[in-house]
Amino acid sequence: MLVWSRSGKLAVWSFAALLVGIVFLAPLAVILAASFAGQWNGVLPSGFTFEHYRQAGDGASGEAVFASLATGVVASLLALISGAWAALALRSQGGGAARTLGVLFFVPSAVPSVSVGLSLLVAFSQKPLLLNGTTAIVFIAHFVLISAFSFGNVSAGLARVSPDFEEVASCLGATPFYRLRRVTLPLVAPYLFAAFGLSFALSMGELGATVMVYPPGWVTLPVAIFGLTDRGDIFSGAALTIVLVAVTLALLLALERISSVQTQARNG
Amino acid sequence: MSLAAFVDEAAIASGAAELRGAASTVAFDRVSVAYRGAVVLKPLTLEVAAGEILAMIGPSGSGKTTALRAVAGFVRPASGRIRIGGADVTDLPPYARGLAMVVQNYALFPHMRVFDNVAFGLHARRAPKALVEARVAEALSVVGMAPYVRRYPRELSGGQQQRVAIARALAVRPKVLLLDEPLSALDAQIRRSMVEEIARLHGELPDLTVLYVTHDQSEALTLADRIAILKDGALSAVGRTGDLYRRPPNRFSAEFLGRANLLSVVVESDADASGFVAVRAGDERLVVPGADDRVGATRLLCVRPQNLTLAPDGAHSNRLVGTLREIHWQGELTHLVAQVGDALLRVVATRLPTIPARGERLEMFFAPADASLIAEDADV
Amino acid sequence: MSDAAASPHGARVDLGALWIAPPLIALAVLFLYPLTLIAHAAVYDSGDALNLAAAWATLGSRAFVNALVNTAEIALASTAGSLALGLALALIIAFVPFPGATFVARLIDTFIALPTFLATLAFTFLYGSAGVLNGALMQSLHLADPPVHFLYSAWGVILAEVTVYSPFVLRPLLAAFSLVDRGQIEAASLLGARPWRIVRQVILPAALPAAIAGGSLCLLLTVNEFGIVLFIGAKGVITLPLLIYDKAIQESDYQAACVIAMVNVALSLGLFGLYRLAARRLGA
Repeated sequence: MLVWSRSGKLAVWSFAALLVGIVFLAPLAVILAASFAGQWNGVLPSGFTFEHYRQAGDGASGEAVFASLATGVVASLLALISGAWAALALRSQGGGAARTLGVLFFVPSAVPSVSVGLSLLVAFSQKPLLLNGTTAIVFIAHFVLISAFSFGNVSAGLARVSPDFEEVASCLGATPFYRLRRVTLPLVAPYLFAAFGLSFALSMGELGATVMVYPPGWVTLPVAIFGLTDRGDIFSGAALTIVLVAVTLALLLALERISSVQTQARNG
Repeated sequence: MSLAAFVDEAAIASGAAELRGAASTVAFDRVSVAYRGAVVLKPLTLEVAAGEILAMIGPSGSGKTTALRAVAGFVRPASGRIRIGGADVTDLPPYARGLAMVVQNYALFPHMRVFDNVAFGLHARRAPKALVEARVAEALSVVGMAPYVRRYPRELSGGQQQRVAIARALAVRPKVLLLDEPLSALDAQIRRSMVEEIARLHGELPDLTVLYVTHDQSEALTLADRIAILKDGALSAVGRTGDLYRRPPNRFSAEFLGRANLLSVVVESDADASGFVAVRAGDERLVVPGADDRVGATRLLCVRPQNLTLAPDGAHSNRLVGTLREIHWQGELTHLVAQVGDALLRVVATRLPTIPARGERLEMFFAPADASLIAEDADV
Repeated sequence: MSDAAASPHGARVDLGALWIAPPLIALAVLFLYPLTLIAHAAVYDSGDALNLAAAWATLGSRAFVNALVNTAEIALASTAGSLALGLALALIIAFVPFPGATFVARLIDTFIALPTFLATLAFTFLYGSAGVLNGALMQSLHLADPPVHFLYSAWGVILAEVTVYSPFVLRPLLAAFSLVDRGQIEAASLLGARPWRIVRQVILPAALPAAIAGGSLCLLLTVNEFGIVLFIGAKGVITLPLLIYDKAIQESDYQAACVIAMVNVALSLGLFGLYRLAARRLGA
């Protein structure tokens, strides 16, 4: 409603399309094209091939896919449990102490990932806990970086649940655990799904901390992609990037499907 | 549907003794509640008899909801004890008190069907499956929602949801049923039919003690056996509905429970054998019920608008004279406002033989028994 | 999970307060304890002796100062660019709606789920020496050498960061715009106001809190950005995170790395505080 004339609208839309196209769509398209290209000199790629994807399937690259998936799922689950637990515990407290603690749980998202990686490297290369060179340290790094987002999501969801539900449940005879299981958690389920999805996406793309702490046997996709492109093997890198994007989007889509089926039933 | 089956569960499960909710009393014993330093409920002492409906009414901030939440256990009293069925429950958590609650926004669990909603309290208290099914079926048929057992709350209208919420509360046979403004979220028309529903329910379940909080005095007048009027965190008046309405003890209850005309009068004679005194209002001499009123005392005469009539007959022997200021016809009723001395009197008439004009001299009549006297400073 | 509610006069012991312990302990052990260790390692050398001289040396070194300046410049430029791009797109999507506008908004939203280095990798193909843009320009203008070099400079980083972080500005702006009363805009239009005037006087004031919140978030994220800078790999473009990585992994100089990390963390926490302040003003 800012622009009324047909020509004006067209001009604005073309401008928007240009912006979106150049900034967002072109990069995606280009990587997609490169992943199928034999070589690329000049404006267009040439030599259509599946070779890069085949290579992505076996050997080191295949292991990287597994490592990223495993890390993503485990770290996201832990982050979801921890974040939801903290959100529930703080919500029933209220008051100044709860607010301060709440901010504390957000701080890990503010600290740069490389510094988190460095701190874990330093802390767990010495007594009392020696985790240097294990896969556990990678899980911990991802967990620390993404737990704040689960906490934020679940807190936001809990704030929108009317206290009526839990009060009536309590009055009818539900003990706190029963109430949590049968009333509170189902009511925030969409936020739990969203939190898991976001955590997983962040974990899949995490590079800064991982590159500081990863053991040789546990190479995640971002680290593998960097290794490829650093050597100049940019086409394989592109293919592996597309694999990463595809896996992430596939899981997000699956989560959204499950979540919407649930909300359909109750909200219509 | 047999109410006897609803009441008798011995044939269904022997181990469900704790679910046999007998009518219980509720007692507030000097219960006070504070919130962030401010007193929200001043020490309240009040008893609810077994099987009665007590309505707690009052304006916003009167403390009525706080008192209800104290019984439920959501609010911890700063002082005093709460007893249900004689047992001190003040230290018990809400889920251990054997109560049930219906709230303004229904709070039906959206992720459960009607059946699971109604069965919720029973499942939470670990009732055996057979008992659950029987109770749910009975509760739903008592509120007339049996065909909707497999629906989700979102598929029901407001009135239907509230019925399911009531069924959910009834299914656990609570010692006391708590109702927190249950009809406030409903349309006026649905509200009227729901009030009648609740009255019918209470008739069919004489064992049910009900604590009913509302700001709507007409709901209280229809449903309650006794009414407690709260104001600014304290009890202003309490008594049987009829008594409270016909003989309000103070100005606030006179004006809050129904509408009242209040006229300043002076007592002229001692009480006679049948308990009437003579009072003077301006030039008029009126005969009204009175007992402890000594000669010369100033009182407020309270007479309800619908008890004033423009056509005299033997029974309406008291007369007031004024000037008609306003007249509004509203279909079922006609509202008139007349000026008598300094006061404005309201009259509600169902039938008017002639329509008086504004500015006319108006004579209004009422029967002695339809009025009462209030001591001006009797405001708690 | 406690049931005690409003009254402060309850004498019952509230077990509810202890429920926060497990996540709090996890946070302390896995996050706070390691941070204190790098603070310790920043000033104590491997012999466990207090060695402030080495710390000062690092802070005074050319590499550190360059990295600090680079980080600040890139972050500010990227934030400005994200704000400009985010504002432009938000205005168009919200106020000159076209079919599929919501789809575009969701698409841009999905970009948040993608790794940040994806943009850089794509740029290599688009703007690199052997990329599409250079190829097109060389062909059409008959040039011998690729004319476009910005990818291997700070501008490459900035462009990539704008691509990646403008959704973080776009979202709060779209939310703020959806709350603007359409009636106001229509009334202004009827009264004869041109679009730019409406934007200036009606829409931008509504956007300001969201822009500040989104902008400070952007600033925080760009200061912390690592993947993009790593993938660009340009010699002159080193930011604080990259310097930490170099020091620790390439040179094994852990004390220097810890010193720089402390500065980086302090800077980030400061920006985080700013962001929280801005978000609270927004009413979040």
